[in-house]
Amino acid sequence: MLKVENLTVNYGYINALNNVNFEVNKGEIITLIGGNGAGKTTTLMSISNLVAKESGRLTFKGADITNLPPHKLVKMGLSHVPEGRKIFPALTVYENLIAGSLGNTDLKKPQINELVQKMYQLFPRLKERCDQGGGTLSGGEQQMLAIARGLMMDPDIIMLDEPSLGLAPIIVEEIFELILKIRDEGKTVLLIEQNASMALSIADRGYVLETGRVVLEGTGKELLNNSDVQKAYLGD
Amino acid sequence: MEYIINQFVNGICQGFIYALMAVGYSVIVGVVGFVTFTHGEVIVFGAFASFYIFLLCGNNLLLGVIGSFAASWLIGIFVYKICYERFFHAPRHIALICTIGVSMLLKNIAQIIFGPNKKPMLNIIKNKIYSFGIVEISKVQIVIILTVIILSALLFIIFMKTRWGISLRAVSQDKTAAAMMGINVKQTAMIGNCMGSGLAGVAGLLIAINYQTVYATMGSNLSIKAFAAAVLGGLTSVPLAALGGILIGIIENMGITFTSASLRDIFTFVFLIIILIFKPQGFSKKKGVRP
Ligand SMILES: Nc1ncnc2c1ncn2[C@@H]1O[C@H](COP(=O)(O)OP(=O)(O)O)[C@@H](O)[C@H]1O
Ligand SMILES: [Mg+2]
Repeated sequence: MLKVENLTVNYGYINALNNVNFEVNKGEIITLIGGNGAGKTTTLMSISNLVAKESGRLTFKGADITNLPPHKLVKMGLSHVPEGRKIFPALTVYENLIAGSLGNTDLKKPQINELVQKMYQLFPRLKERCDQGGGTLSGGEQQMLAIARGLMMDPDIIMLDEPSLGLAPIIVEEIFELILKIRDEGKTVLLIEQNASMALSIADRGYVLETGRVVLEGTGKELLNNSDVQKAYLGD
Repeated sequence: MEYIINQFVNGICQGFIYALMAVGYSVIVGVVGFVTFTHGEVIVFGAFASFYIFLLCGNNLLLGVIGSFAASWLIGIFVYKICYERFFHAPRHIALICTIGVSMLLKNIAQIIFGPNKKPMLNIIKNKIYSFGIVEISKVQIVIILTVIILSALLFIIFMKTRWGISLRAVSQDKTAAAMMGINVKQTAMIGNCMGSGLAGVAGLLIAINYQTVYATMGSNLSIKAFAAAVLGGLTSVPLAALGGILIGIIENMGITFTSASLRDIFTFVFLIIILIFKPQGFSKKKGVRP
């Protein structure tokens, strides 16, 4: 469904990604794990065309999307939930959800209302807080809102950038359960994580990113049992 | 005493016009994210658009308002294309310097097209005075105040109650996140710039019928008043900018009541300097941030 080939990105003189290749198939949960500064966020930002690529080719649903602007990507069904959530702080929870639907101009009003209700079902806590400012939510609630907002464009694939960042373990668990649920509803998931054990335990396949290169790939189980991965990312 | 009260009424009326300019200014700075120095020229083009519409089509206020709004909207597109569109990722002073240049350009174009002299604005509203006890208010003043209130209400509805408004506010809060939502950020920023410009254009019409003159260089002082009023709200808070505009109108008119009309513009500067000394970030609280 999404294919990244030979992706290289530089920030000025800093090389952030070097010849990265990976592929996400329909219905999979794919995870990209790696330490701080490995290039995970840069990977998503260049898929969304928010940073300039040095070289590389991106295909989505068979079409070349290498140079498409973000608003066109959203319309094609690609949703990007950014690192650090990036909730609109002065929009209410409800308005944040609506903001998520603005890019998909195919959606009509009844469908949008339906999607909002679906999000409230999936995230009951957002319903309770629907008229509250987005910026007043707790970190976990903001992450849920960010994911819900990303689902409001009714995407085919949702890319999540470190959804567990800065959250208490119990909330992280809740969020990972939600990710499984989202996949079960027919979405494809590209999950970026530093929390490797959690990510690999729910992923179909994973890639390990180190200083801008893919150094390992395999199924979630294989990587969990790989001794290098265990040493570097699983803390034992 | 009567004179003072009536000067106060004049101040409120003028304040409403400044408020509309400042509201336009805040919408621009809020949505686009850059400070602009072209506001005065946008106001002038709006004023002249209505001047020619009244000249050609007679007394039709609604047509004048629409014409001013549309003319300034077009100037807004011009300013956006030159000063902002390619500079969102550049250091902020680039766009700022660019607006100074475009402001000079527009000022000179205005003088070439409209001539350097003051032109008398046609009297499109019959001058009738209504008295309430010792308070007197003219029909022109009532029309001005109502126009500002109606436009502000429309703006409020667009911003707070429509999907368009949500995308404008989303772009004003976080352009990267808005892009990730699939909002066309550049187009939305341009619309925000044009809406703010359009409001400024109508304010130009109102100031012209209030003073009954219009001239190509009247923009400079007005843009400083809009800026000073907007500073009260940290340049981006629309309601505080409106309040700032009304305050400046009142302060200015009370000031000249006790001194001399030639000092009119000084009071705005004093107001601006006092705010910049004591509360340079304005009075708007960052909304929606966890306490
Ligand atoms: N805007 C930027 N300007 C310069 N360097 C950057 C920028 N963003 C990221 N980098 C650098 O690129 C590398 C990859 O960063 P990033 O993609 O954010 O990693 P991760 O998300 O895996 O932590 C790091 O070395 C980081 O310092
Ligand atoms: Mg990151």
